[in-house]
Amino acid sequence: MSKAEDIAPPAAALPAVAAGYRFGRITLDIRQDIPPWKQAAILTASLAVGLILSVAILDFAGIDPASLANELTTAMNAGSLRNVLIQAAPLVLVGVGASLAFRIGFWNLGIEGQMVLGGIFAAGVSIYEIGPASSRLFVMGLAAALGGLLWSLLAAFLKLRFRVNEIIATLLLNYVAIYFLFHLLYGAWQDAKTAFPQSSEFRPFERLGDIGFGINGGLVVALVVLLAAAWFVHMSRVGFYMRFISANPTMAKVLGVPVRTMTIWIVGASGACCGIAGFVNVASQEGRLTQSFASGYVFSGVLIAFLSRNDPLVIAVVGFLIAVLFIVGQSLQVFYQIPFTMVQLIEAIIVIAVASSEFFIRHRIRWIR
Amino acid sequence: MTFALELAEISKSFDGVPALNQARLRVHPGEVHALLGENGAGKSSLMNVAAGLYAPDAGSISIGGESVSLSGPADARRHGVGMVHQHFKLVKPFSIAENILLANRQPRYRAGIQDIRKAIATQAEELGFDIDPERRVEALTVAEQQQVEIVKVLIGGVKILILDEPSAVLTDAEAERLLQTVRRLAQAGTAVVLVTHKLNEVRRHADAVTIMRGGKTVATLDPKQASAAELTELTVGKTASLPARSNSTVQGETRLNVGALHYTRADGRVMLQDASFFVRAGEIYGIAGVSGNGQAELAELLIGAREPTAGEIWLEGAGNVGVAATGTRRDAALAAIPADRYAYALAGGLSIADNFAVANIRSGRYGSGLYVDRAAMRRDAQAAVRDHDVLGVRSINQKAALLSGGNAQKLVIAREFSREPSVVVAHSPSRGLDVRASAAVHERLLAARERGAGVVLISEDLDEILNLSDRIGVMTRGRIVAEFDRPADRQAIGRAMVDHA
Repeated sequence: MSKAEDIAPPAAALPAVAAGYRFGRITLDIRQDIPPWKQAAILTASLAVGLILSVAILDFAGIDPASLANELTTAMNAGSLRNVLIQAAPLVLVGVGASLAFRIGFWNLGIEGQMVLGGIFAAGVSIYEIGPASSRLFVMGLAAALGGLLWSLLAAFLKLRFRVNEIIATLLLNYVAIYFLFHLLYGAWQDAKTAFPQSSEFRPFERLGDIGFGINGGLVVALVVLLAAAWFVHMSRVGFYMRFISANPTMAKVLGVPVRTMTIWIVGASGACCGIAGFVNVASQEGRLTQSFASGYVFSGVLIAFLSRNDPLVIAVVGFLIAVLFIVGQSLQVFYQIPFTMVQLIEAIIVIAVASSEFFIRHRIRWIR
Repeated sequence: MTFALELAEISKSFDGVPALNQARLRVHPGEVHALLGENGAGKSSLMNVAAGLYAPDAGSISIGGESVSLSGPADARRHGVGMVHQHFKLVKPFSIAENILLANRQPRYRAGIQDIRKAIATQAEELGFDIDPERRVEALTVAEQQQVEIVKVLIGGVKILILDEPSAVLTDAEAERLLQTVRRLAQAGTAVVLVTHKLNEVRRHADAVTIMRGGKTVATLDPKQASAAELTELTVGKTASLPARSNSTVQGETRLNVGALHYTRADGRVMLQDASFFVRAGEIYGIAGVSGNGQAELAELLIGAREPTAGEIWLEGAGNVGVAATGTRRDAALAAIPADRYAYALAGGLSIADNFAVANIRSGRYGSGLYVDRAAMRRDAQAAVRDHDVLGVRSINQKAALLSGGNAQKLVIAREFSREPSVVVAHSPSRGLDVRASAAVHERLLAARERGAGVVLISEDLDEILNLSDRIGVMTRGRIVAEFDRPADRQAIGRAMVDHA
């Protein structure tokens, strides 16, 4: 029996709906295998379609492509690029955090809460002056990671012990964290000098500043975390096991993968990344604990993880691009009076474009004569 | 005369690989027509074309003499074609009644579900099935799920019933009963297509047989006229021999001791109570029984998919592993060949290479915890796929879900035997496999025994148990009620299976 004749009908373990429906004279096949270059080509094409649509929509909104290009080049000049990179650091960190949890099928939507706890722990180190000045920043980062980790483990505990859906648990714990932050900022940690609901400013050695070449310390932190995550996911044994935990946890268990222990540690690592993102935001951009240093990062984190298919190396690129979009969006808001929702609309269009590329990657479309 | 179903010159390819090549099939009304062939011969593909799941690339379909073009399974059902798939299409968290309602849509849920319940009761009684329409599908055994599928299709009112490997999941007695049911349906005028690779089924129950090989239909003949050798030769090209079994048993020390094992399901039903047995090195211990008597649960406890409620699973070199991390079992070289491959043995969404390599990664073969040697994994997987004759592999990077049942099982076996096992737990290891593939599986089990492994063989196929086992335990209501030494008396085992049931 030749090899070609023995190809299995793909119906066996796949949903029936995907297999070869007919639309007129077009049929869809499930691809058995796709070379990486083809996958990349499909993805690029989808992205291009998304970008063209975005440009068209902005044109309608009164920003012609030429001025858009102008804005984009402005964002790339030294001053703006510095802002882009500052903005990119927390985005990369939450993207990595989200992707780690998503890789094992744990839907961590508690990014914001974990960032808040990270920020609070870091600020606590500053306020109570823990550790010598020379290593203060390091201790703050470590404390932030711990804060995020503990907050995410709370949801993991609820899931593993009481089977509470983690989407609900993580999402609602965000509110608990935020109101705890308000409690501190309107109470014990309120800035005595200004009486604004924010902590007093960190000391200079407690801040992530420029380390030269216009590169912010936060970005260095983000890149270190990113590289560690990339190695972890692509090279380590745990990274290999993670794929099985999301693909088939029962099978993973039978084959000796410590599913439960790994789930706990990976969710913890996810929370720690988000906690560090909180630290980066309070220690670089804000320089103090504010009310809104973490707001909006749930959506961005999920978005970046999704667009990068949970691959840390791709997150570096996507995080940077989203940061560019943020900065350009800010200036468009100022100079063209477009609403911020326009930026979100463009994000959404790009997400849909990339999501639909999945269909073409999985299926092959054929004409039958 | 008009045919109930006529498939003419059907061709179909998947992603450029031909699966069907000008296949044809003609089924008369009121006949049981067997479709015989090896795993991957294209039987299921051809039937999926008839059931509207696949659109053929070329060829035509006629139903009741009328040429049709099926837009999908719902359209096929409207034309009276119903198919019971090998992998059941049921929504697991739904009840039986809801599943059947889903396939036979009613205008109103409330009234509809009442009607459906009544219809299920009538239909089930007619077929001799014991079905409680309120039970959830996920709580059912495979055999019960199949009954639900059959009832589902029949309630829809079919003229052409396609059964894809229906007896693969049934015991002898259950299969016999099903085939008699099928006969009655045929007498009532239904055309039945029986997809199978079992020769004796074909010879005993079919009015006509069409044989497929390599995507082509090679012959249609009367099974009562043709000899078994003739049919076999048409199916496989050459006759596969049965594995030889040496009787020189050198049984060593105890490898696995199961003591007073209890397991209570989440819904409160006690599936195992006080199950005890032991397996020595160099023997095959067969566990026979009517399905649904706790065999599935026993297998799941042994391989570590579930934890026992009470009792001990003692494994040589590891101690009591009942509630221990499953890694300890792997370290003690336990090989697991579960009945439901896609639930317990393979991650369908991951590549063949990954599925192969995951079992041996703990041994350090593919590097330390910090670095995984993917190239070595791919090399080993490639070699294993070649050595175990896993067919349908275009690339080891393709998803494991794309393998056909028999080839998926070959992959599992290649993996589990990639190192010398100390204890093998096999549950219905030849389920859904053709003659040659199941002979290969049996050979593997016997070879493991020769080399001194302790083998637990749990199977609802009594012939398989009798052919392979050194000792046989009969399981009834979650307990080993009787043990027999080789050579065991088939009748005595049969009595033990039903006496306590």
